[in-house]
Amino acid sequence: MNSRLVGTPAGRTTTRLADAPVEVRDPDIDETLDVDRPWIVLVWNDPINLMSYVTFVLQKVFGYSHEKAEAMMLEVHNNGRSVVSNGTREKAELDVFRLHEHGLWATMQQD
Amino acid sequence: MAFGLRRPFQPKGADRFTVNLGTRERAVVKAVCEDLVGALEDPAAEPLLRRVYPVAHTTDASIDAAYQEMVHSDLVTSRRQALERIIASTDEKDLDRSQLEAWMIGLNTVRLVLGTRLDVSEDMPPELEPDDPDIPAWAVYEFLGGVLDAIVRSSAETLSS
Repeated sequence: MNSRLVGTPAGRTTTRLADAPVEVRDPDIDETLDVDRPWIVLVWNDPINLMSYVTFVLQKVFGYSHEKAEAMMLEVHNNGRSVVSNGTREKAELDVFRLHEHGLWATMQQD
Repeated sequence: MAFGLRRPFQPKGADRFTVNLGTRERAVVKAVCEDLVGALEDPAAEPLLRRVYPVAHTTDASIDAAYQEMVHSDLVTSRRQALERIIASTDEKDLDRSQLEAWMIGLNTVRLVLGTRLDVSEDMPPELEPDDPDIPAWAVYEFLGGVLDAIVRSSAETLSS
């Protein structure tokens, strides 16, 4: 577990809000500052990861039932991607990290 | 996994798994892990590692850069630890659940790198000529897929949730 990713959501949000106007070059500042809009975590299809493996990782990382995890895996397989979790930016970063640790191609974006 | 008569990772009680792999199969597992440990931070291997360290945001490079800065070294470390745990346990008769998880993550990482090198796509396996120099690599890739699938099945059916 990455200790830098857990336990300090409030502190990191404060830092980001204070720093954002200085360091953001992207004109779309609203997206960075709008802390109320939830983030979603997506898993993308790839030709290497086994279907059984993807299902198991979703069960293990998120505690989903086999049925729910398998439905998400099939959505990834058939539609190219699936939303597997959502929440604050900090939660999304942690979820993406845990999926990357397991070798899944996960990304996050603000909904 | 000779003849498929015994499960490669036979659950034994709640948290132990008997490894039914032959000497040569264990040697292959060990060799591919030793290869990858040396390549994990090798700049020359970077193109082959893109699936091991994927992007976290597809459109905003600054969000991705912040994420990579935060986690990259942890991703390298956890991969190396998984591979080293496999290398240290390839001769074991039994693995505990934590060791089996290291095998799962480590061998999946090997598959990601090997699959990238073989340019695996959805229409696989391809038709190969008998003298194709990639045939050994394809054989190892398919073998590791079988080992990984067996690990997943044994882990999943004994998962306490």
